[in-house]
Amino acid sequence: MTTIDQTAPGSAAAATPPRFQALRKFAREFARTPTAMAGLAILIAITVLALTAPLFIHASDLNVVNAPGQPIAPPSARFPLGTDYAGRSIVPLLIWGTRPSLAIGVISTALTMVLGSAIGLLAGHYGGITSRLLMALTDWFIALPTLPLAIGLAAVLGQGDASITIAIAVTSWPGTARLIRAQTLAVEARPFIERAKALGARDGQLMVRQVLPNVAPFILVSATLTVAGSILSAATLQFLGLGNPTDVSWGSMINQAFFQGAVSAGAWWYILPPGIAILVVVLGFTLVGRAVENILNPRMAR
Amino acid sequence: MAPLLEVRDLAVTYRSGGESVRAVRGVSFTLEPGETVGMAGESGCGKTTVALSLLRLLPASAELGGEILFKGENIVTLGWQRLRAVRWAEASVVFQGAMSALNPVRTIGEQICEPILLHEKVGQRVAETRAAELLDSVGVPSRRKASYPHELSGGQRQRVMIAMALACQPDLIIADEPTTALDVIVQAQVLELLTGLVRERQISMIVISHDLSVLGETCDRLAIMYAGRIAEIGPSRQVLGAARHPYTRILARAFPRMGDPESRMAPAGLAGEPPDLRAEITGCPFAPRCPEVIKACRSHDIDLWPAGEHRQSACIKVLDDFRAFPDSAQAALDSTEQAHAHERAGLQLEESAAGFSRADDPVLEADGLRVVFPARRGRGPARAVDDVNLTIGRGEIVALIGESGCGKSTLARALVGLIEPSDGEVRYTGSRLRYGAGALREHRRHVQLVLQDPAGALNPKQNVYDAVAEGPRLHGIRAGLTERVHDALAKAGLRPPELYVSRYPHELSGGQQQRVVIAGALALEPSVIVADEPVSSLDASVRGEILKLILNLRDQLSLGALIVSHDLGVAWNIADRVAVMYLGRIVESGPVADVLLRPRHPYTQALLSVLPDASREQPGHPLGGEPPDPTKIPTGCRFHPRCPRRAALPPGDERDELCRTVPVPVLPALREDSADTSLVACHLADLDVPALAEHSGTAG
Repeated sequence: MTTIDQTAPGSAAAATPPRFQALRKFAREFARTPTAMAGLAILIAITVLALTAPLFIHASDLNVVNAPGQPIAPPSARFPLGTDYAGRSIVPLLIWGTRPSLAIGVISTALTMVLGSAIGLLAGHYGGITSRLLMALTDWFIALPTLPLAIGLAAVLGQGDASITIAIAVTSWPGTARLIRAQTLAVEARPFIERAKALGARDGQLMVRQVLPNVAPFILVSATLTVAGSILSAATLQFLGLGNPTDVSWGSMINQAFFQGAVSAGAWWYILPPGIAILVVVLGFTLVGRAVENILNPRMAR
Repeated sequence: MAPLLEVRDLAVTYRSGGESVRAVRGVSFTLEPGETVGMAGESGCGKTTVALSLLRLLPASAELGGEILFKGENIVTLGWQRLRAVRWAEASVVFQGAMSALNPVRTIGEQICEPILLHEKVGQRVAETRAAELLDSVGVPSRRKASYPHELSGGQRQRVMIAMALACQPDLIIADEPTTALDVIVQAQVLELLTGLVRERQISMIVISHDLSVLGETCDRLAIMYAGRIAEIGPSRQVLGAARHPYTRILARAFPRMGDPESRMAPAGLAGEPPDLRAEITGCPFAPRCPEVIKACRSHDIDLWPAGEHRQSACIKVLDDFRAFPDSAQAALDSTEQAHAHERAGLQLEESAAGFSRADDPVLEADGLRVVFPARRGRGPARAVDDVNLTIGRGEIVALIGESGCGKSTLARALVGLIEPSDGEVRYTGSRLRYGAGALREHRRHVQLVLQDPAGALNPKQNVYDAVAEGPRLHGIRAGLTERVHDALAKAGLRPPELYVSRYPHELSGGQQQRVVIAGALALEPSVIVADEPVSSLDASVRGEILKLILNLRDQLSLGALIVSHDLGVAWNIADRVAVMYLGRIVESGPVADVLLRPRHPYTQALLSVLPDASREQPGHPLGGEPPDPTKIPTGCRFHPRCPRRAALPPGDERDELCRTVPVPVLPALREDSADTSLVACHLADLDVPALAEHSGTAG
């Protein structure tokens, strides 16, 4: 396949400027949407925070043993958001909690997209018995209750972030598969597919070279909106105690607050911040996702 | 009498995102009561904008200037209530796409009643009676009033649109491309109906079309639009016959008259693109493309100016100051025309001598080809292609003509190998096509397909380079790919190729897009191209350019071509041989001059008789009946239910029995004795046609 690369420079050099133009047009429209920019600002801030967290948060901040403060102490000058059941400051816990949330959300979405797009493309392209089998499988997964399935999977695969990621991906791909199948059918009805067939394209070439670039915007839109759902699911599963027991995550923070009596103690500083953090991240992804959807596919949104 | 409609200096500007497009730049004309005016021009010339602005049906981004006086009221400034009253009750519209203009979930009866109930104080019962009368008057049986739009044929839907437009007895009807999406024969029927009704009821009409010949036949006067203005206006026959604007001349030539030696093997086209209406235009907007341009055109621009009785033209040469020029320009034109005529005379000699030697070296053949689509939803199997023999020789252009539903597109796809035939075979240079993946890919290197709608045939995500390189890449040709792509683009007339490679389909005009599709086919260096309606979605001026290109490719690369079309003009313009298809069979085939000038099959004769022709005194005789249905093929001769020749037989004639019961033998691909005449599949082919016409005259 290296020979393709040898011929590519001429075409790639010629092809880049208009693609950049499209990108620039997209960026311009995106910048004109205030909600999109707000969402983007949230996401950038949180991503930076998550990536740089190890620089200013030390292992001792997260250690249950030798915690610096009193258990469940209200906010003070030393602990701006108070402390948890073990006397740890809430602020570093909250910041550290971004890491598993984002990682699980993004990785499970990537898996969802790969699985959903592949199944959608295959079902849309081949039609007939292939399509019926794949869609039956999709419907079966849609009909399965998400949470019990995820719990069951996590139980089988064992506790931990990996099993949460897989559980989310396995339960959320059917929606994407349905969307991509419908779009594939629409694209395949267009005359350029017939032209490509007449030029001698095989099935694989048709799907990858002709159909995929045309359904890619839908995959992108679907992805940005799925991330938000995945983060919510991740928090749910962590709350249920299926996450990595040694790591700090927003879901596990709420779980601990719940079971250590934060609610009855009226310790709002313990239970609210992780909830608000989840809300803010989900909001960021949703705002960006809606804006991308509006720009790439104005007809679908309006 | 005061004119019914007077448009004064109409200007329409579309504003969006800081850009303003001046779609209409000062249009003035009048319409007398009962008069029919046609508006023609390329797409983007503003003709539809003018039509829609007459009822203020334009989108909100459009800004209207000037005056539109309809019965003395200015539509531009009319209040909303009054405008609503005018719409439909006094002026109505026949839209282009009857399928999308009709509401799919309501019956046609309800939809015709709607404007009556809205505008007139009558009860449901009166409205329903009126709707039934209207349906009968447009030739749709009134018992079908409970039908939904999808249950009607395209021609019937267009008739329903006409009935709706007539519902409130308006004084003005605006018909926006009323017959564009229809077949030739249905088009003729609908046009005849529309003009008849309008004349009978003394309604004025404005007809918008890109097809000048359609307008010439139906309209009293013609307005030719170019770049948002009227280039020429005057009585139809004079405008078409002796144009006073070079643009009109080119448009009029784009649709050839059968038998006109000037257009034989010489399609008329117009190079270049219309001006960008966002920019300021200096001089005559047509000057950059005008074949008769003089120096003054680049700096001076005139509005419509009297150019004879009842005529006006916006060409500078109608001014007194420039009267000196036309003669010399005309002389120059004449001499080039003479040269062309000589060239053509030579060509025709060559044609008659060499025409059949080309066909003797067959490249692509169909032998007893049948394509049957399986039965579905209560309909029997469709015999789309039913025993067809066809040959395309090396460097030969064959035109395949027929109505939609006759199987011509299916036959084209079977020849390319996109559809596997149920029976019979496709042969390439004598060897039978096998339907394994490898053999098919090999076949497609030699036989390429060009589709009707170039905008749809190009992947919007691929630039021109990738679109043209697609074929070679799919076939693993990588050495010298860039040169191959550039070479193909140059051959397709996109020069210099460097200018186009990085563009995307939406940045190209329709003609350029079709050239890219053709370049994509050429990149595989095929020996035959199969083109399915290659020009039917293109503008008149571009049509000629693309046909010229196909002709040039034949001459330079000896590329054979099968041109599938509903348009007999295409065959006259570029084809060596023509095959006429009806209901899955070839009914007549032979050299173009023979088949089109001396048609022997009644179906070919019907197709030719409905071609709009402004110079003809009487309208043609469109065939009755609906387009054929390949799931219900009649016994005997498959054309017999619609055949005017059989209908003209004297009662009790035994040949009638022959037509109804005995199938006509299938035509071979070529005449075996190589005599230079056509083949015809008709039991009554030898009947004297004029005698029959006389007979039917007395009988009817």
